[in-house]
Amino acid sequence: MANNTKNRKAILVTPELCIGCRACQVSCKSWNQLPGIKTHNSGTYQNPPDLSNTAFNLINFIEMPSQENPARWLFVSRRCMHCDDAGCMKICPAAGAIYRTPEGAVAFDSDKCVACKLCVNACPFDVPRYNDQGKMSKCHLCFDRIGSGMEPACTKTCPTGALKYGDRDELVKTAKVDGFSTIYGENDLGGLGAVYAFKEAPKLYGMKENPVIPSSVIFWHKYLKPLSWIGLGGVVAAAAIHYLAIGPHKDEEV
Amino acid sequence: MAEMVQKESGGAILNHWALAISCILLMITGFAFLFHLEWIGSVFGGFNTMKTVHNWVGVIFSVSLVFTMFQYLGDSLKYDADDAQWFKVAGGYLSHKVKVPPMGKHNPGQKLYYLGIALFGLLIALSGFGIWLMKENTTIMLLSHLVHNVAFVFFCIMVPVHIYLSTLANPGTLPIMLSGKVPLALAKKRYPKWVKAMGKM
Ligand code: HEM
Ligand code: HEM
Ligand code: SF4
Ligand code: SF4
Ligand code: SF4
Repeated sequence: MANNTKNRKAILVTPELCIGCRACQVSCKSWNQLPGIKTHNSGTYQNPPDLSNTAFNLINFIEMPSQENPARWLFVSRRCMHCDDAGCMKICPAAGAIYRTPEGAVAFDSDKCVACKLCVNACPFDVPRYNDQGKMSKCHLCFDRIGSGMEPACTKTCPTGALKYGDRDELVKTAKVDGFSTIYGENDLGGLGAVYAFKEAPKLYGMKENPVIPSSVIFWHKYLKPLSWIGLGGVVAAAAIHYLAIGPHKDEEV
Repeated sequence: MAEMVQKESGGAILNHWALAISCILLMITGFAFLFHLEWIGSVFGGFNTMKTVHNWVGVIFSVSLVFTMFQYLGDSLKYDADDAQWFKVAGGYLSHKVKVPPMGKHNPGQKLYYLGIALFGLLIALSGFGIWLMKENTTIMLLSHLVHNVAFVFFCIMVPVHIYLSTLANPGTLPIMLSGKVPLALAKKRYPKWVKAMGKM
C-alpha cells in the first residue's frame, strides 16, 4: 500500500528539543488505560527499560558526552514506526488483526489477533509486545483520536515540540528547513510514520542503520505465497487437460 | 462375485483417511491464514478457533504420518529395473501406446510420492510445532515459518496430483482405499509382480 500521499500523517521526533520529562509516556498510559508496571533501577534514569505491553512509547536515555558538553544526554522517543512497508502486517496470518488506518497508522484489533507471535519476528524495530493471553499490543498512533481529528495523546502532551503530529510531507519539509541534516525514516521501508530529525548520524541516537524486513519473510511473501496457489491451480488445470487430451488408464492396454 | 485380493488392511485404510482428511483441513485453513480468507475463517467461527483447529488437526496429521512409515516406508525405498523402465515410459500416462513394464504393489510414482509426503510431512509438522510452541526464539520462528511454507508449496502441488491419479485417472483404484480389496483379475493386470509374490499367479 503506497501511503506517501498528501493524507499520510506522521509523528516527527526531534531529540534536540526533548527535555526527558516523559509526559508522553504518562499521557499514553492515561489515554490507553495502561497500568503502571514495577521496574528495576538499571543504573540509568530511563524507565521503563524497554517497551512492553503496557508501555507503548518510552524515552531512551542515552549518555553521550561531547567535547562541549561532558554531561550530554540524548532523549530519543521510541515507539512503533508505523512503517509503510510493515513487516508485522506482512507476516500476520489473522485477517484484520493488524490493519492500516486512512491516516497511515498501523493499528491492531486484539479480538482478531490469534496470539501466534509471528509479528515481532518480522518487525525490523522489535516493537510488538504481548499481554498474558499472548495478544499483540503496541503504539497505534492513537488511531481512535486521530480518526476523529484529534492528535495523539503523546504529541498533544509534549511541552517542547520534541514530538509533533501532522501531515507527513509537511513535517519532513519543515524539519529540513529548520536545518536538520538527517531525516531518519524518510525513505526506509517505504517511509516510516515516525520520522526523526537529527543533526548527527542516526547511529549516535541508537537508531538501526538500515532497517529491513527479514529476507525470509520477503521471500515467503514474494514467491512462496503466490507459488502455493499457482502450483495448486496449475496442477488442477494440468490434470483436467490430461483427462481430456489423453484420458484415463485403460486396463486392456497393460 | 469375482475373486478379490486384499491390498490394504483396515488399519491402513483408517490411517489413510485420517491423514488425508487432516491434510486437506490443514491446507484449507492454511490457505485462509496465507490469504486472509475471511469466509473460510467464518466457517470456523473466526480465525482464533480456526487456529486452534489447525494446530490440533496438525497433531492428528503428525501421528498419522508416523503410522504411514510402518506401512509404506520400507517398500518405497526399493526400486528395480522395471521401475526404471516405468520412468522411461512415464508410467504410460503420456501415451496409451507404450508398453508399461510389470509392476509390484506400488508403482515407482507412488513410491516417490510417499517419500515426498514422508519428508515434507515431517518438515511441515516439525516447523508447525516450531511456530506453535517455540514463540520466544526468533531464529526458530523465522526458520519454521519459512520451512512450513516451502513444504506447503509441495503439498499444494502433489496432493491434487495424487487425488487425480487415484480417482479419475485410474478407475478402480479408489475402492482399494475404501474396502481394501481389488478384484484378482484386475490385480493380475496392474500389479502382476505383487500377485506373483503372493503365489496367486
Ligand atoms: C481425498 C482424496 C484422496 C483420495 C481419493 C486418495 C486415494 C488413495 C488411494 C486409492 C490410494 C491407494 C493407492 C494404491 O494402493 O494403489 C492412496 C494411497 C495413499 N495416499 Fe491417498 N487419497 C487422497 C488423499 C490423500 C492425501 C491428502 C494424502 C496425504 C497427505 C494421501 C496420502 C496417501 C499415501 C501416503 C498413500 C500410500 C501409497 C502411495 O504411495 O500412493 N492421500 N490414496
Ligand atoms: C499438511 C500439513 C499442514 C499444512 C498444509 C499447513 C499449512 C499452513 C499454512 C499455509 C499456514 C499459514 C502460513 C503462515 O502464516 O505461516 C500455517 C500456519 C501454521 N501452522 Fe500449519 N500446516 C500443516 C501442518 C501443521 C502442523 C502439523 C502444525 C503443528 C502442530 C501446524 C501449525 C501451524 C502454526 C502454529 C501456524 C502459524 C499460524 C498461526 O499460529 O495461526 N501446521 N500452516
Ligand atoms: S515498527 Fe514494527 S510493529 Fe511498527 S509498523 Fe513497523 S513492522 Fe509493524
Ligand atoms: S500475534 Fe496477533 S498480530 Fe501478531 S502476527 Fe500473530 S495474529 Fe498477527
Ligand atoms: S501515539 Fe498514542 S499510542 Fe502511540 S505512543 Fe503516543 S500516546 Fe501512545
